[in-house]
Amino acid sequence: MRIYASGLRKLLRRPATWVTLGLLCGLMVLIFVAVGASANRIESTNGGAAIKELLTFPGAYDRLLEFLLGLGGLFAVIYAASVAGSEWNWGMLKAAVARGESRTAYAWLSFAAVATLIALGLLVAFAIGVVAAVIGANLAGISTSGIGDAATIGQFPYEFARGWLGIIEEGALGFTIATLARSQLAGIGAGIGLYFAESFARIFLSSVVKFLPFDAATALVGGGTSGISVGGGGAGASVETLDPGTALVVVIAWLVVALIVVSLFTERAEISG
Amino acid sequence: MAVTAPADGLALATRGLRKSYGSRLALDGLDLTVPTGIVYGFLGPNGAGKTTTMRLLAGLIHPDGGTIQLLGSPFGRRDRHRLFDVGALIESPSFYPFLSGRQNLRELAATGAPVPIRRVDELLELVGLNGRDDDKVSGYSLGMKQRLGIAAALLSDPKLLLLDEPANGLDPAGIVAMRDMLRNLASTGKTVFVSSHLLGEVQQMVDMVGIIAAGRLVKEGTIDSLLAGEGLVRARVMPDQVPAAVEALSTLVERARIDTPADEPGWLVVQIAADRAADVSRTLATASIYVAGLESGNDLESLFLALTRTARTDGGEGSIGSRAAAPKTGPNWPAGGAPR
Ligand SMILES: Nc1ncnc2c1ncn2[C@@H]1O[C@H](COP(=O)(O)OP(=O)(O)O)[C@@H](O)[C@H]1O
Ligand SMILES: [Mg+2]
Repeated sequence: MRIYASGLRKLLRRPATWVTLGLLCGLMVLIFVAVGASANRIESTNGGAAIKELLTFPGAYDRLLEFLLGLGGLFAVIYAASVAGSEWNWGMLKAAVARGESRTAYAWLSFAAVATLIALGLLVAFAIGVVAAVIGANLAGISTSGIGDAATIGQFPYEFARGWLGIIEEGALGFTIATLARSQLAGIGAGIGLYFAESFARIFLSSVVKFLPFDAATALVGGGTSGISVGGGGAGASVETLDPGTALVVVIAWLVVALIVVSLFTERAEISG
Repeated sequence: MAVTAPADGLALATRGLRKSYGSRLALDGLDLTVPTGIVYGFLGPNGAGKTTTMRLLAGLIHPDGGTIQLLGSPFGRRDRHRLFDVGALIESPSFYPFLSGRQNLRELAATGAPVPIRRVDELLELVGLNGRDDDKVSGYSLGMKQRLGIAAALLSDPKLLLLDEPANGLDPAGIVAMRDMLRNLASTGKTVFVSSHLLGEVQQMVDMVGIIAAGRLVKEGTIDSLLAGEGLVRARVMPDQVPAAVEALSTLVERARIDTPADEPGWLVVQIAADRAADVSRTLATASIYVAGLESGNDLESLFLALTRTARTDGGEGSIGSRAAAPKTGPNWPAGGAPR
């Protein structure tokens, strides 16, 4: 518990936390406000309908979530890898182990703190995103009357829980890779590499790739529907995805496997850097 | 600097400790015996295996063979709780650069043994960082980080303190302050195990030294006993009197302890306590051999060099050079009067 609370304090003071959240929110605000501001000029062209859909509540909530959870996954990989890798780079795991701390407890509770912060970050980013979408809608002259839609809002806890689970599974992967690489940079690099490799392979091998961690997480996040695919590029109709139920099981399995690998590796590691 | 009797137990002991990194042998059967309540200087040239030993003692790596006794009981993979009573600063101090010195100590205290929060203030004061304690560590100088590292090692008020080359980066005042602090700790019954590749750095504060080279212990004992056992007296006689002089001195010490360096005709090197130079002179005079020159030395630094040079098997990472085993100059060891 001490380690978990300490982990939260450390993350809150960590510049990377605020840079990551700032980037995520900044991109979201940029897109929704910019789209809203340019809506009048594009309205006559064929993009008009899409913009209307993006900025009209309650549908805007879904678009917002899809965007947030899609980009959030990639950010989670980078963020968690940077946290895990820096424990090795800065010798902090060394310091904790030499004090008699349990290696597994330290690694797992550090990850728990990351997962907690991801949840908080999602909520904050979502709130900011809603404000951005309202501003965008106003700029585009679209009514925001659907903003209080009870059915959609009632789904939020459920969607958030699923989205969070998917994202922390992606984060756990980054965390594991950085632990195996014992390095911040290598972890981030390999994490991003895998993320894009998987979305590339999906085009050819979707029957297999759909079980891989990032695809399963995407299926969980999107609830099986095709959302905004970040980095996916070729997410076409022919691409297979898991149904939400299976995706949930697969995502939890990957999360557990990642944490076990972290534990095994950390316990056995020779800390001689 | 009397050594407390080992009867009250050993703070630390290793037997036949072996460790390789891949194909590189770092420790080759290390036997250390560290009594409780002393400052123990763990000396050796670069690459001798000091840091490796420290890592093993702190549970960061695990031995390929041999045993470790920590604070009176065996220390193995499942005994991490034993480290609650051990404080360590190994290689370089580690901190979060984005946290202040105080915050770093606070977060470190969240691991291992519980630490009362006011301990952080005491330690910042002790290592002279109060005033800079709320600055980010990324803005600290090397010496300030080192001080914070020492504070971190002391966090749990450990019974055994492992310090790996703690003087690195400290200014002279910092080194003096550290010596004071470590002596104080030992006087309260704690054990300090401190490594260095410079004998002079620790000579004034240690009760006992262990000298390691190429992963093996080559000498262990109190400074006094090392000096007594390893003192050298050099006497110069007429070159044609050398055989007779060797004969005469054989009554004083074993023949094997008398050397006649070929490159220095007329010189005799006798392994005998440095304060017995007069005995050497008198013995020779009794045989009607009068010395033209007499030097005595117990320069530990030379002894250290000689011991570690001969024991080296590979190049390691720093070559010690080829200084002669015997000191050519008189005693120049800055004894006693140094600041405490
Ligand atoms: N992490 C490591 N990987 C490979 N070899 C190492 C590692 N650490 C130390 N060594 C080797 O082990 C030997 C002992 O090193 P070390 O314990 O660091 O010596 P010291 O601290 O006395 O300078 C050296 O030959 C060194 O090159
Ligand atoms: Mg070293």
